[in-house]
Formats: sequence, C-alpha cells, structure tokens
Amino acid sequence: MGDEKIDKTIMIELSNTFKDAVSDVDVPSPNRAVARIDPGKVKEIMQFLLDNGFDHLSCVSGVDYPPDKMDVVYHVTSYSAPLVITLKASLPRDDPNIDSLCGIYWNANWYERETYELYGIKFNDCPYMKVLLLIEEMEGEWPLRKDYAGYPDLT
Amino acid sequence: MGEIELPSNVSVTSASAINEFIKNSPLQKIVNWGRKNSLWFMTHPMGCCGIEQICVGVAHYDTDRFGIIPRCSPRQADVMMISGYVSKKYLPALQRVWDQMLEPRWILMMGECAISGGPWWESYSTVTHLDEIFPVDIYIPGCPPRPEALLQGFIELQKKIVAEQDRTVIPNPADGGE
Repeated sequence: MGDEKIDKTIMIELSNTFKDAVSDVDVPSPNRAVARIDPGKVKEIMQFLLDNGFDHLSCVSGVDYPPDKMDVVYHVTSYSAPLVITLKASLPRDDPNIDSLCGIYWNANWYERETYELYGIKFNDCPYMKVLLLIEEMEGEWPLRKDYAGYPDLT
Repeated sequence: MGEIELPSNVSVTSASAINEFIKNSPLQKIVNWGRKNSLWFMTHPMGCCGIEQICVGVAHYDTDRFGIIPRCSPRQADVMMISGYVSKKYLPALQRVWDQMLEPRWILMMGECAISGGPWWESYSTVTHLDEIFPVDIYIPGCPPRPEALLQGFIELQKKIVAEQDRTVIPNPADGGE
C-alpha cells in the first residue's frame, strides 16, 4: 500500500500544527477524514498536506448556505494511501473570496474556475479567473446559488 | 455571382425562371424522388442518442437500401440529426454546422432531450424549444429511440419529401445564396 506513514494520523498532525486554523476534526471511517479550516490559512494547510504525501487535489466545490454563509469544499487524496480528506472553509456570502491553490496543486485552476462560475466564489491570485464551461454572458449569474432565478422552464 | 456584361441583343433565361418552371412541372417529382433516395446523414452524435445514431449507420440495419448513408462532413450531408440536449455554449457550433450544409437539407429531432430538453428542461444551461431555431421535419421520441425508430423517422421524411410537405427551403439561385 505504499507509504505506511500516510494514514489518518495526519489529521492529528494537522490539528497540532494548525491549532487555531483547524477545527471539528472527524474521522468517520478508515478512508475518510473531515475537518473545518480557516479560509485565511488554506494555502499553508494545503502545502502541509502536499509535503506529507497528499499529492492529489481531487475536487474543489462549493455549497451555498443562505442567507449568510458559503462553503468551499476541498477533497485531497493521496496516490499512495486510501484516504480522502475533506476540508471545508466557510466564507461570508456577500463577499466570498479565498486564496487560490494554483501554486500548490497545478490542477486547481479548472476546479476553481468552475466553482467561480457556478457560485461566484472568487479565488485570489488564480491566473485566469474567467468562466470555464458556461457561456461568457452568464458570468455573474451564479446558477448554482440557492436564490438563482434564471431557470427557463419552471414546471 | 459577379456581374457579367452581355451584348444587348442576347437575352438569357434567368435561373429563377428555370427554377420556377421545374417546381411547377412533373420534373420536380423526379427531383424529389432523387432527393428522397439519397438522404445522406451527418454522423454528428451529441449525447447518448448518438450511440443509436451510429448503430443505424452500421451494416446490421443496412440503410443503403433506402439510400441513407452516414457522412462525416456537414458539407456532404443532407440530413442533420439533433441527437442530444443542446447547451447554450453548444448552440453557436450547432448553428455553424447547420449553415455549412448545402441545401436542400433536413433536420431530424432525435430523443427527448433534443425535442424538449428532456431531464434538463429546467436547467440553467439548456436550450429548449429548438424547433423555433431550426426547421425541424421529423420528431423521433424515445430515450433514446431504437435504431428501428430512427429508420422509421427517415421513411416518414421520405414520405414528406414525396408529398412536398417538408420544410426545406429550396434555394433560388437568382438570390445568390442566402
């Protein structure tokens, strides 16, 4: 199974290293670990995970919690260990922005652009913060927000 | 067509006059017979219905007996099948492909997604009511329709062409295209 060191003890190390930034650590199964992180420390935390063998950013997505909160959800996994770490960062809904991970995980670029076009979450320092899959005219509509009203055919 | 200088004593029959003459004569029936028996369709799979569309083109269904042959270029095809949901981003490309086809040309709507949007009826990015954008002749419902249904659609289109009820716009050469 590769590196024996990569297992869920990473969560203990993580919460010890970032005492103020990591909270609500939970390990619901041998393959899953969940934590909440401080959005201001996301780059340091991801760099720490990358240095400890979590070399695959699997997914960046968003969750809308009206009226005042919005989450960014990161799934980080490793090519050498069967563990998926889910990290959630809460942002204010009226001005959601968070640091980009493009300098740490190169593949974060498209994930962040898609999260941006669907939720309007801005990723600071992302090299090309434009819509990825939608038409350019739809930039600013944020179709996956709960209060989106632009559906064409309501039944 | 560019301007051609003609001597004053020469008169030519205009292309539109020939066109009108053929339209109102039995010759048009022969033209239509030729058109209905050479419905070459464009291999243009757009979704899961595309699998059935490709199936129709293979030897098992032997569409050659109806003159239906898959082509790989819109410039060689007479029939476009819209065989999947069309997103707002894809619509310009689809229109461009349609514009590249030579007239006369026909459209088959294939599957629920193309006809109405299907499961994506309420989606933020799906174009519904495609028949307001394209002149659609045949609707083939199904999710996806079986290859036999698709063949049935082609045969119905042939019947429409013979009856001159199809929606194709036969171009008038005098208009110089569009």
